[in-house]
Amino acid sequence: MNKTFDRASSILFALIGALFVVESRSISTSAYGSEVGPNLFPMGLGILLILLGLRLFWETFRYRGAVPSAVPLRHKRFLLMLLATVLYAWFLEEIGYVIGTFLFLLAGFRLMGSASWWKSAAVALAFSVGVYAVYVHILKGTLPGFPSWLGL
Amino acid sequence: MEALQYLADGFTIALQWHNLVYAFVGVLIGTAVGVLPGIGPMSGVALLLPVTASLTNGLTPDQAAASALILLAGVYYGAMYGGSTTSILLNTPGESSSVVTTLDGYQMARQGRAGAALAIAAIGSFVAGLVALVALVFLAQPLSEVALTFGPAEYFSLMILGLCAVSGLGGKSMTKALIMTVFGLLLATIGIDNVSGVARFTYDIPDLYQGLEFLTIAVGLFALGEVFKTILESDGTEAEMIKVDRILPTKADLKQSAAPIARGSLLGFFIGILPGAGATLASFFSYIVEKKVSRQPERFGKGAIEGVAAPESANNAASGGAMIPLLTLGIPGSGTTAILMGALLMYNVQPGPLLFSDHPQVAWGLIASMFIGNVMLLVLNMPLVKVFAKIIETPPQYLIPLIIAISVFGVYAVQVSTFDLMLLIACGVAGYVLAKNDFPLAPLVLGLVLGPMIENNMRRALTTSNGDYLIFLQKPLSAVFLACALLWLVVPMLLKLRGRQVVVNEEA
Repeated sequence: MNKTFDRASSILFALIGALFVVESRSISTSAYGSEVGPNLFPMGLGILLILLGLRLFWETFRYRGAVPSAVPLRHKRFLLMLLATVLYAWFLEEIGYVIGTFLFLLAGFRLMGSASWWKSAAVALAFSVGVYAVYVHILKGTLPGFPSWLGL
Repeated sequence: MEALQYLADGFTIALQWHNLVYAFVGVLIGTAVGVLPGIGPMSGVALLLPVTASLTNGLTPDQAAASALILLAGVYYGAMYGGSTTSILLNTPGESSSVVTTLDGYQMARQGRAGAALAIAAIGSFVAGLVALVALVFLAQPLSEVALTFGPAEYFSLMILGLCAVSGLGGKSMTKALIMTVFGLLLATIGIDNVSGVARFTYDIPDLYQGLEFLTIAVGLFALGEVFKTILESDGTEAEMIKVDRILPTKADLKQSAAPIARGSLLGFFIGILPGAGATLASFFSYIVEKKVSRQPERFGKGAIEGVAAPESANNAASGGAMIPLLTLGIPGSGTTAILMGALLMYNVQPGPLLFSDHPQVAWGLIASMFIGNVMLLVLNMPLVKVFAKIIETPPQYLIPLIIAISVFGVYAVQVSTFDLMLLIACGVAGYVLAKNDFPLAPLVLGLVLGPMIENNMRRALTTSNGDYLIFLQKPLSAVFLACALLWLVVPMLLKLRGRQVVVNEEA
């Protein structure tokens, strides 16, 4: 068990509970045709979350000092993948599904250690074009198409 | 024999060619998901949820719901089966409900009996699936008739019982499980309140008015969370895989495992019905039972075939049993069934006692397709076990980015919003961090699904009683449910205080 994380998260959850309690006070307290208003349920849960957060905080003092065996984490690879995913999601509508997915997969395959550019590009192209063709042209779904400035 | 008539109708639906294809694709993907270490049944079902939603686009709502459920349920029990393959061949369980299978399965494989172990696992899963199905057919209708007499107070208390059961067994720390439950319930309150129409916690952000989408959160927490874990923690070394030679088990193998399969199936089914106690617990218990019953308990852990047959039957039977509270009461007892329930709700099909009268084709079609799916699994797995074993060798450098791309595609195809994609990624990171620190994710998803229903029933009950909270204790059934809920939390706590080891249910 990670004492620091648990302690921080217990405080965070208690704060989230407090936030819900405070914010639910601004919701109307009665509703037409109903005895209890829409504020009661979130307020009650908020109080419960505060109590549970405090309980977890109290429990962290009783942790024994066993340090969990640390697996070496590959932070750099993770952050780069996360960045690639965020960029992909953010620009998906602007650059269109096929281009965005192709670029993301190509970057992703290389980041995860694929050795060959050709193989990566082939798989990325097959997936992005394949999904787009099947979903948009056969199943008539909606995905962002090619960007208009390409003039396609 | 009304039930048999309904079942026959169910078969006419499940045997429609497109539903056969869905069942086939479901069990095929499910087996692959179970075989691949890193994605378990829950992330597999979550990942495919949006994909099925887009596949069933052109069908009428009821047909679409039936087809989607047939596929997703196929993934669910296919994964239960596939998980055994890696346990036996690699000594790494594909998902938590196959952890016990490694004990004897891997030993059998090392003695050159890998084929027999895999075959017994397939046969056991098949028999267990049938047992669960027969019980489901005969229990579903009567149970849903009982549930029809429930009022809002009873429903509220029953759902509280479900949540407490899942939290009480939900991981290493009950406090953390409860925090996740309450947090899930709170997240469910975001959006327009559907009783009064008041916007809650939306802060004029248009994306929030509909509430946080269940699908986005489920895919993020489970599918992306698992992927991020693999990216961070996998070191690229690959385990040595044992080759499969002879597949058919000998007569002696079959004779030895017949009784364990029967016991495992029954035990697994009843454990599966209990909310909170899922396939993982079922497999552990049945292993312990076999060891107790056996005349030579010292053989266990050294390649006893009973040690493969019983837990593999139990985890499949449990996944069938878990369907009962979902279909008849509308209360999911585990993370995976919570996702299946989210799928039903997406199609505007409300699981619960009315499911059998309002949407008989969905309910009975699903039940019939589970039978067909089990047959397909057996037919697929016996000859193709070597092919499935190859899936393990899928290079992770291609698999990981593809899973991310499928998640993004799925969520975008259903939600068509960049906001949901960002929420997806945030949930993925949160899912990894929380799971890493022993905060169980299943209670959160359960809270998210059940939240609106708990709130509605609570408010309806309080309206009938003019705001008197004692109504939950005055109705006898409701009081019994609440008492059980309390016991479910207090008993494990007392056991822990007395220093007993409590078996906990990891994600299943």
